[in-house]
Amino acid sequence: MFEEPYRWMEAVSTRHSYVQEKLKMGQPVLSVPFNEGVLIMGFAPQPGKIFEVYDRIALGGVGHPADVERLRMTLLDMAHLEGFNRSAQDVTLARLLQFGIAPALKQNFEEIQRAPYIIRLLLAELDGDGHPHFFRVNYDGHWETFKSGTVISGSEKVMDEVQKKIQDTPFATFPLDKALEETCRLWDESRKQDEGEDDKDVPKTLKEAFEQWYLEAAVLSGKVERRAIYRMLTEEEIGKLKSSVG
Amino acid sequence: MSFQTDPHTSPGDFFELLEKSGYRWHARIDSAQMQSGVTVTHGTTVLAFHYKDGVIVAGDRRATAGNSIMYELCDKVIPIDDYTLMAIAGVPATAFEMARVLTHNFEYYRRSQMQVMSVEGKIRALSKLLKENVGMAMQGLGVVSPIFATYDIKSKKAAIHFYDMLGADFKISTHTATGSGSPTIRGILEHEDLWGEHPLVERSESDAVTLAIRLLQTAAQFDSATGKARPEDNIFPTIALVTEAGYRFLSDKDLAGLCESSLKRG
Repeated sequence: MFEEPYRWMEAVSTRHSYVQEKLKMGQPVLSVPFNEGVLIMGFAPQPGKIFEVYDRIALGGVGHPADVERLRMTLLDMAHLEGFNRSAQDVTLARLLQFGIAPALKQNFEEIQRAPYIIRLLLAELDGDGHPHFFRVNYDGHWETFKSGTVISGSEKVMDEVQKKIQDTPFATFPLDKALEETCRLWDESRKQDEGEDDKDVPKTLKEAFEQWYLEAAVLSGKVERRAIYRMLTEEEIGKLKSSVG
Repeated sequence: MSFQTDPHTSPGDFFELLEKSGYRWHARIDSAQMQSGVTVTHGTTVLAFHYKDGVIVAGDRRATAGNSIMYELCDKVIPIDDYTLMAIAGVPATAFEMARVLTHNFEYYRRSQMQVMSVEGKIRALSKLLKENVGMAMQGLGVVSPIFATYDIKSKKAAIHFYDMLGADFKISTHTATGSGSPTIRGILEHEDLWGEHPLVERSESDAVTLAIRLLQTAAQFDSATGKARPEDNIFPTIALVTEAGYRFLSDKDLAGLCESSLKRG
């Protein structure tokens, strides 16, 4: 059936449509710099959107939880083996993506007999010199890098709109609480762009999101003396945010 | 890259992942090719005891190979995670490798399983490595005698464990010491605990640090493989504290003053 190039291209095109349709409901994850590091946040009906990958690397995912989990574990394995065999300094996001998951994702996507990964990933890194790096990885292995923060979402329209706003906001000068407030505001605005707005299970406002869902947020802090600089925000920090924006 | 999950593996086990990637701990040396008279580098005196706020872990800085002093700045107290330290006596190459495996093991477990490994799990992980190392130890090339100090954030208690070379672990409720200089100071530690002004576990941080500095200096007096503090050359013992706040190493600046006051004759 797939011996003709046209049929293969048609099958790949169908896979794009299939994955995009499946991803459509994925709620945004945003990552931005702030004056002491990098913030990554997102709302979800259950925890499992934001993760620590390595000492200075964080991950956010939208899509099928099982697929996000598999790629998370692949990244963890690669990062820890590299850190052990060489050094923690050699574990960089650019290497993990370029030589690791991006080619594997592309190959998997184009092998049309295999199920595609229903994912979109956001990866953030604060390097040893304190410079933030942001990456967005698509289900087909395509990845992009951003200097001033980025967003992933099930909807490409939402991603484009929020991305523009992130680039227009001087997040790198903000303290953590202001960066959090601003990302929450962008998340709120993204709901107005979302095509799946009519879904009753999805909160329509920030207030509803705080009430019905979990806010997951973590930072890579340049002020931490220890090797691993990732930390989830505490309930107290989230409670304070809730009262300031809710 | 494989995305398949093997149901026969232990989730979050970094050592297992290492072995899958081709790493072999126990097969690195073929005994048939061993040359006689190989002199390997050894580390020497380390100690740990409970004090009022947690556990103090200390070690001298000398590494020797036979009669030769190879290095005077060897760090024998190694951080494993935020709440755990390992103090080593024996062959540094093997001990450092063990520490690297453990560091990655605990962090990999925490990140992959999204929970901190239990203290029992951590203690068992070091036992497992020592057991893997028995072959090297029997060949005389990789004997390691570690002390493992950690703070259990759940029970809010500090713990010290001592291991034999086969991997058996022994929980220590008061004090322990290992390495060639340890016989000298074990007696002093016991004496201090039983008949000192206060039992070790009731002593303040400052008293505990003073005692540790004096013990290492005493060990160095009687054991040539244990290095003395040499403030004039900025060589100080390694002293670390494990408490509810995690581990903390004393800086050389702090130790300069503490060595001066602790080693002054009474």
